[in-house]
Amino acid sequence: MTRAARKAGAAGLIAPATLVVALGLLLPLGLLFRYSLNRFVPGEFMVDALTVENYIRFFTDPFYTTVLWRTVRIAAIVTVICLVMGFPLAYVLARTQSRFKNLLLMAVVLPLFVGNAVRAAGWMVAFGSRGVLNASLMGLGVISTPIDIMFTETAVIIGITAVNLPFMVLSLQSVIEGIDRSVEEAAFNLGAPPRLMLWRVLLPLAMPGVLAGGILTFILGMNAYATPVLIGGPRFQTMGPLVYGQFIEQNNWPFGATVAFVLMAATLVLTSLSNILVHRRLHR
Amino acid sequence: MAAGVFTGRRARRAALTASAGLGLGFILLPLLLVMWLAFFRQEIPSFPPQGYTLRWFAAVPANRSFASGFLLSVQVSVVATFIGVALAVPASLALVRGRLPLKPVMNTLLMLPLVVPGVVLGAAIYVGELETELATEWPVLGSVTGLIAAHTLIVIPWAVRLVTASLSTLNPVVEEAAKNLGATPWVTFRRVTLPAIRPGLVAGALFGFVTSFGNLEASLFLVGPGQTTLPIAILQYLAWKIDPTVAAVSLLQIVVIAVAMLITDRFVKLSQVV
Repeated sequence: MTRAARKAGAAGLIAPATLVVALGLLLPLGLLFRYSLNRFVPGEFMVDALTVENYIRFFTDPFYTTVLWRTVRIAAIVTVICLVMGFPLAYVLARTQSRFKNLLLMAVVLPLFVGNAVRAAGWMVAFGSRGVLNASLMGLGVISTPIDIMFTETAVIIGITAVNLPFMVLSLQSVIEGIDRSVEEAAFNLGAPPRLMLWRVLLPLAMPGVLAGGILTFILGMNAYATPVLIGGPRFQTMGPLVYGQFIEQNNWPFGATVAFVLMAATLVLTSLSNILVHRRLHR
Repeated sequence: MAAGVFTGRRARRAALTASAGLGLGFILLPLLLVMWLAFFRQEIPSFPPQGYTLRWFAAVPANRSFASGFLLSVQVSVVATFIGVALAVPASLALVRGRLPLKPVMNTLLMLPLVVPGVVLGAAIYVGELETELATEWPVLGSVTGLIAAHTLIVIPWAVRLVTASLSTLNPVVEEAAKNLGATPWVTFRRVTLPAIRPGLVAGALFGFVTSFGNLEASLFLVGPGQTTLPIAILQYLAWKIDPTVAAVSLLQIVVIAVAMLITDRFVKLSQVV
């Protein structure tokens, strides 16, 4: 076959899938952005316009800036907790010689595919006023009246952490697996205590995994939907539910589109910033 | 002295194992609690349980929104998986074997549905289908077809990712040998390439199916009035109350997904996939 024919053949093979994604998602994303520049007139739905007033409204109304700030804060806290909780598990998964390794890995992966609503339900069982947590604490005599955890930011953070932890563990595990064990032993033989080995050897080498896992966890935390809706309750607002509420419940497509793009832009800016910062520190 | 070092080492190992166990426990705890609740005798999720029963499982098929949600989810996910895989296999061949300009761009484009946040994906597809409806008067928004189209987009990146991974481990010399022996490109694909990438294909299809089956955010934007998929039915029920019935539904879903993962694991080692 000639080179030109091969090229044409390859283009023909890839064309259907790329066309579907381009027409089904890329173009609609462009339309969504165009919607965000339109005007919403109550009673008339969307009116064609070319204005940034939706973006101005978002950033000048304290209600919306509070929602954005709360979302960023929750995502950041969740990312740090995931890193601290995920590292030991990732390390053990990467280094274990056990024949149950695959089963362990499956235990980490399985929850990823069991919808977020189901996992939120688990925490609802735990956090209710007569739930597992309150019942055990009261049974132990630690507290005398049930504590309200449900519908708080703490509960939402716990819920999202559990949802995102597997992503962090998998990102770290794949990188740690690639780090030669003898590097750790060399540090120990040279007299480094474990803490120093972790800080000066293992963590710097695992940095690509930390970064990848951190960014993924942060993005997922920013975009969480089911967990804040169910564990946070109807009055607890974060960006994900806000997009849905504006779009479907309020029928305010221009503002819903605006919130969607603010969410994407905030995520993109914050993740690129952390990426640059970490790289600068690494290549000092 | 030596004994001291030894116990120090053991203590550290124990601490490491314990903190790893804590992480794993934290991941699994919500699933275990839901599964436990499914067997409670009383309807209110209060602890400790007053006894255990299986009757909630019998009540699941009678619940209309769970039953119809399950049927719609299966229907949508199966069709979307077939279409998505059928689109992804030729695209993966082109990505791995073809000489294409802009290959990284195409690859990024095909991964886009996985990168765009769920609610933004839903809003964008909603707008796309709305504009299609306005332009052609074909009522795609809120239809099962519209839902299948969205889920096809969700399947494509998973299928492309796993099939390309499988293809890149296959030595192209094998395919060239078949061609030199006179096989047409189609016969080469059917008899040589396809059997070799079967594990990646099965894994891609299963991952695509499971992601589509569990998708909540995009579907929320696209279901028609009175229609629900299973994840939406579970969300709406939970927003109202939590009881053993919804826990029983969740348990059934967990079992279905666990079986799908075990099947996938027979074809490809999970550690190579995720």
